[in-house]
Amino acid sequence: MLEIKDLVKSYGDGQPVLKGLNFSTGDKKLTAVIGSSGAGKSTMLRCINRLVTADSGEILLDGVDMLKLRGKELQYARRKIGMIFQAYNLVDRLTVMENVLSGRLGYVPFLKGALRKFPQEDIDRAYQLLKRVGLSQYVNKRSDELSGGERQRVGVARALMQNPQILLADEPTASLDPKTSERIMELIARLTDELHLPVLINLHNVAQAKHYAARIVGLRDGVMVFDGKPDELTDEHLELIYTGKDELNEQLHPEGESEE
Amino acid sequence: MSIAANTVNSDGSFLWKRPHFISNPLLRYGLLVFSVVYLMYAFGTLEINFSRVMRGIPRAMQIFSGAIPPDFTSRGSLIVTGFIESIQITILSTTVGVLLSIPFGFMAARNITILPVYWVGRAIIIVARSLHPVVLGVLFVKAVGFGAFAGILTLIIYTLGFVGKLIAEAVEEIKYGQIEAIRATGAGYFTILIYAVFPQIMPRLIGLSMYQLDINLRASTVIGLVGAGGIGNTLNSAFGRYDYGTASAILLIMIGIILIAETVSGKLRRFTR
Repeated sequence: MLEIKDLVKSYGDGQPVLKGLNFSTGDKKLTAVIGSSGAGKSTMLRCINRLVTADSGEILLDGVDMLKLRGKELQYARRKIGMIFQAYNLVDRLTVMENVLSGRLGYVPFLKGALRKFPQEDIDRAYQLLKRVGLSQYVNKRSDELSGGERQRVGVARALMQNPQILLADEPTASLDPKTSERIMELIARLTDELHLPVLINLHNVAQAKHYAARIVGLRDGVMVFDGKPDELTDEHLELIYTGKDELNEQLHPEGESEE
Repeated sequence: MSIAANTVNSDGSFLWKRPHFISNPLLRYGLLVFSVVYLMYAFGTLEINFSRVMRGIPRAMQIFSGAIPPDFTSRGSLIVTGFIESIQITILSTTVGVLLSIPFGFMAARNITILPVYWVGRAIIIVARSLHPVVLGVLFVKAVGFGAFAGILTLIIYTLGFVGKLIAEAVEEIKYGQIEAIRATGAGYFTILIYAVFPQIMPRLIGLSMYQLDINLRASTVIGLVGAGGIGNTLNSAFGRYDYGTASAILLIMIGIILIAETVSGKLRRFTR
């Protein structure tokens, strides 16, 4: 159960990126967050696992306020939150297996982690996840030898390796070509369904959001301007979310992509 | 002034001149005049004396004739032990120095440390870099006495300054996204260093170590001249005895070893890229 209350965040002295955001989800379903660049989608996600620290407000994860945690407590809380990144953020020079196993680093003691002495059940689970995302043949391949789509699949496996209670995905398909992008979205959607996970996913592509999400949240200038089911999202809503932003036309008339 | 040069003439042609490196003409010509005057003054105080140069030539000839042919045999065992000691100094000090420069280099990287730690790390590296190995050698010979130990300490500090600084720079250039990803898993600070930072600087670190091995081999011969052990000591005493044959033998071997070391370290560095 995730509850965000009056979240405010600004970088430096500038205008706040989030201006009192309220949001909550307990559904073990996929929620897509849409909005133009700079609307605060990324900041919202990063505030949740404290990659950035919000100025004020509350982020309650199972009743615990993430903003009040420090040190070890914060690390333990982060273990429950898996994250998938736009640029995959795999450690390039480590093997695929090491990257997947690094999802357990919040659980294993420092020396065991440093020496790659992970418990056998972690290794088994990592192998299973790699098999599930179709990369078990690449166990010992260095991750910078993989293609973009393959890297993101490793990124998904790493996030799931944490056994998270919630999954965050920050534009997971934005760096991929349209076809690979669809495949990754399908993978994330299916895996989260199998694992029964609430997922918060920032999407650039409204068509994808409508297709995969059970709920869509629209952000504009740091506040929520839409919250509803995909079929409730009309062109008027899109205009509300994107008007005056360069992306409006792109979202209303997507090009090069088959609309379903 | 540079703006005045870029004007459109009445006939429509555009007048362009490359802007001066120093735009203020007073400063520009002032600096020029100052440098010329100072050079003339410095040259005048040097007392370069032609007759002194002429008198030096026969003495130089004497040294060179003594140096040919080089004498490898009469002090052969001294030369061998000297070189073995130099190589030991080099390998030990490079190993210890590189290992030490990892924590200090990390401390001196702004993107992964808090400000107080950063300043301490920076300060240590700056101090280590500020003294030339020969000066350090003199200090350590005074502190711990003649011999290889002084040489090892000297080169450890030298390595720490050089490799530490470059490690700090390498850490500051890493991709931050990889750190964020490992942090998001709930890993602690040192685990993040091991998993997200270390792999990214590893190739640089190996290359630097190879390079430093090469540098330390050269430096180990120099610091021997001030009494810090190794072949430099042997060379110094050969000169002291006017034994130019042995001295030139040492110099020739030195050149040979350094050529080999350079080739090997260059090959190794290319291999790790």
